[in-house]
Amino acid sequence: MRWPASLVAGGSVFALIAVAAALGPALAPYPYDGMDIMARFLPPSAAHWFGTDEFGRDVLSRMLYGARLSLLMGVGATAVCLVIGVPLGLAAGYYRGGIDETIMRAIDLLISVPPILMGILILSMTPPNPWKTAIAVGIIYVPIMVRLTRSVTLEIASEEFVLAARARGERPWYILGAEILPNAWPPIIVESALRVTFAIMLGAALSFLGLGVHPPASDWGLMIAEARPFIVEAPWVAIAPGIVLCLTVIAVNLIGDGLREVLDPRLKRGRG
Amino acid sequence: MSVPVLRVSNLSVAYPAGAGWLRAIEDVSFEVAEGRALGVVGESGSGKSTSALAVLGLLAPEARIESGAAQFKGESLFELPEAARRDLRGNRISIVFQDPFTSLNPALPVGRQIAEPLVWHKGMDAAAAAIEVERLLAEVGIPRPREVALAYPHQLSGGMKQRALIATALACSPELLILDEPTTALDVTIEAQILDLLESLRRSRGVSMLYITHNLGVVARICDDVCVLYAGRVVEQGATAAVLKAPRHPYTKGLLASLPRVTERKHRLAPIPGRFPDLSAPPPGCIFHPRCSFVLDRCRSEPQVLADGVRCWRAAELAGERWRVEEGAIPARVGKDEGALVEVKDLAKTFQLGGLFDGFQVDFSRGFPLKFAPPSVRAVDGVSFSVSPGEVLGLVGESGCGKSTLGRMLVGLIEPSAGKIRIAGGSPQSQRRAAQIIFQNPDSSLNPRKTVQSIVGRPLQLHDLASGSKVRERVVELLELVRLSAAYLGRYPHQLSGGEKQRVGIARALATSPRFIVCDEAVSALDVSVQAYVLNVLADLRDRLNVAYLFISHDLSVIAHIADRIAVMYRGAIVEDGRTEDVLQPPWHPYTEALLSAIPAVDRTPESKRIRLRGDAVERGEAVKGCRFQHRCPRKIGAICETDTPPVREAAAGHRIACHIEV
Repeated sequence: MRWPASLVAGGSVFALIAVAAALGPALAPYPYDGMDIMARFLPPSAAHWFGTDEFGRDVLSRMLYGARLSLLMGVGATAVCLVIGVPLGLAAGYYRGGIDETIMRAIDLLISVPPILMGILILSMTPPNPWKTAIAVGIIYVPIMVRLTRSVTLEIASEEFVLAARARGERPWYILGAEILPNAWPPIIVESALRVTFAIMLGAALSFLGLGVHPPASDWGLMIAEARPFIVEAPWVAIAPGIVLCLTVIAVNLIGDGLREVLDPRLKRGRG
Repeated sequence: MSVPVLRVSNLSVAYPAGAGWLRAIEDVSFEVAEGRALGVVGESGSGKSTSALAVLGLLAPEARIESGAAQFKGESLFELPEAARRDLRGNRISIVFQDPFTSLNPALPVGRQIAEPLVWHKGMDAAAAAIEVERLLAEVGIPRPREVALAYPHQLSGGMKQRALIATALACSPELLILDEPTTALDVTIEAQILDLLESLRRSRGVSMLYITHNLGVVARICDDVCVLYAGRVVEQGATAAVLKAPRHPYTKGLLASLPRVTERKHRLAPIPGRFPDLSAPPPGCIFHPRCSFVLDRCRSEPQVLADGVRCWRAAELAGERWRVEEGAIPARVGKDEGALVEVKDLAKTFQLGGLFDGFQVDFSRGFPLKFAPPSVRAVDGVSFSVSPGEVLGLVGESGCGKSTLGRMLVGLIEPSAGKIRIAGGSPQSQRRAAQIIFQNPDSSLNPRKTVQSIVGRPLQLHDLASGSKVRERVVELLELVRLSAAYLGRYPHQLSGGEKQRVGIARALATSPRFIVCDEAVSALDVSVQAYVLNVLADLRDRLNVAYLFISHDLSVIAHIADRIAVMYRGAIVEDGRTEDVLQPPWHPYTEALLSAIPAVDRTPESKRIRLRGDAVERGEAVKGCRFQHRCPRKIGAICETDTPPVREAAAGHRIACHIEV
């Protein structure tokens, strides 16, 4: 099988970022919390590739350390949101009636609380830790995933091939897993790629409120947030993490596109 | 001769397709003479709509007019600036589209939409336009035009909407009216009303018409001349009566031979084999040669030209030849009486409408104010019948009459509200293997993510009918039954044509060796030539496997062709049933009579009596008092129809009619 170019490109960029995140501490030229008051706001140079921040900390090193937390936030939260949201959406869309009503009203309840408040609610009950932030962000995004999956399922469940499966006596789990889900993937994948981005930013917002990563540790979102007051004097402090964040987002979206192509027989070439 | 209203000459239009261009129409020429109606017929993909859109200047932006010209009253349309063409559209040339359900803007009252061209092109003010709208609505046969003008589209039935659209098209007294499948989305009795309307408009207004359709019967009804398109080329043109009576091009012959007819019951139809050519890589020589049964070597190499109204060099020598009849026709089955395979008794289904909260009603007049009484619809209302092994029971009725609900109850997809179903002695749920269903829409009945092998093989695995390599063997056997080769095993649905998809759907239904199959509009979405082929496959299967069908369709000609017995359904109940030959002949239930009369048949004589129903199907309500057909019945005899449930009369052995009129 030929791999789609988007999957290859996105996959390799993402792999590079993931490797950098895994080996971060080993690659970083400086400790992430090594302050040097004399070296505040140094522009990029040979010694500090991406410059230094307001405490004279090396931006590159902080980025490498922060990569792990950012990826955990993005990918972890999206995974949580998929694992909870997709089955609920499938059930609501397929069974309709009481089950649908129950799930959707619960989701309405969840959606009526603003995301940051919801995060605070979930995280303030126990001491914060990045894992929990990721799970909280994932839960915050569950309503979106449920609604999307439900609407796709509603449409597919009325297709005649689903009726045919019911007519031959298939069990619900087979119909949901083998008949409906494969056709529901494309919009779910697109949405998931978007969620990764939003999760990194929401995670940063929660960290900024002291509910995720604790300074002096950092992730990309928090770095951007912290650099905001100095954006005019020292734009590089925000730009560098901004660029890697962008790259990650683009890579994830390319992977999403590629996956869609791999999963859809209609888009495969060289057959038939 | 005077200048024709519309002359299209040597028109070619192409769409981008992948790396190259797909020529949707090539070298198409036709003329609409003053006051005449030209029918452009063809199956899907023949380019008939593309030709009309090109004339109007409404082609998709990526389409390219490669060559040719279109002249409206001698004026060259393609050379006009866009503003001038806009002035023509809706004013001197107007169009009615296929789907009345989406052609009207749901957010605006109907009257305002009809007034739009009047205000825009004729510069009328609102008051003058309103008066004109009322006059137009009355002209297209809408009762109480003033009220209808203020109504929103959702308040009108399909037939009323189409009348309103015709009124819009007529608003500026166009010289040319283009109709793109205007009756295809409508029920047959409503179609007949619309065709009557178009006929009378032609007489009263003398408007010229370009009528696009796939239905040869409609052409026979409405059009003076006909132009047959195949794969974007004109294959034959001429006067309608001549072309339909003595077709000269093999394709036209094939098309006519594929048509099931009520008047003439044949054992097998003669379909056109093969599939529609890929227009991005058309076959060399004659475009039709891969499917033609008169093909010679010369056809394969020599592109054909249109000469004397026909695009075939053998036309003259084939003049007397008929399209070949499929060989190996099996003699008609003799009905074996082996008792009932399927028994249905007093079956009923009531659907609740709306969500949970729609069911609560607040009423302070009596007792506790909050009541739970959900609005409901009685889709099927006390239906009884039986089907013997190997028998085909045709179930005919208009949309919304409950025929699909009935079919789905028989295979356990819908739980009945009342009544009893016995299939081979058991309930539908316990007889999943014995009772199967084939659906209408080839594009939705197969999972696009699965190969033909896994689609057809799945029922075998589910019911432990085969395992391992046996599955593949059995799938190949099943595909052979529907005349598909093993080459199809690895294909995905999008790689199949409509007819092939439908046959895979049939193979899947056959996998469990069912004794009874519900065919729910199984051929309705297919083109005529393909439909004939699938009908033959179904008839063969019945003969070979002795499987019984409940064949559900809105098309009485199809039913008459395949069914041993016919049941006519109206608003949830069977109003007439009996052996096919009995039902097709008097005595009739008034509804059956109207259905038969409404079919636009190619061979209908002008003297044929026309029976038209009043109005549209009334809304499905709750319990019916009196006869359920009373509101539309042309033979209503009096108050008894409104008060008493009609008795079931036995016109002949096994031929029952539910009507107050004596047989």
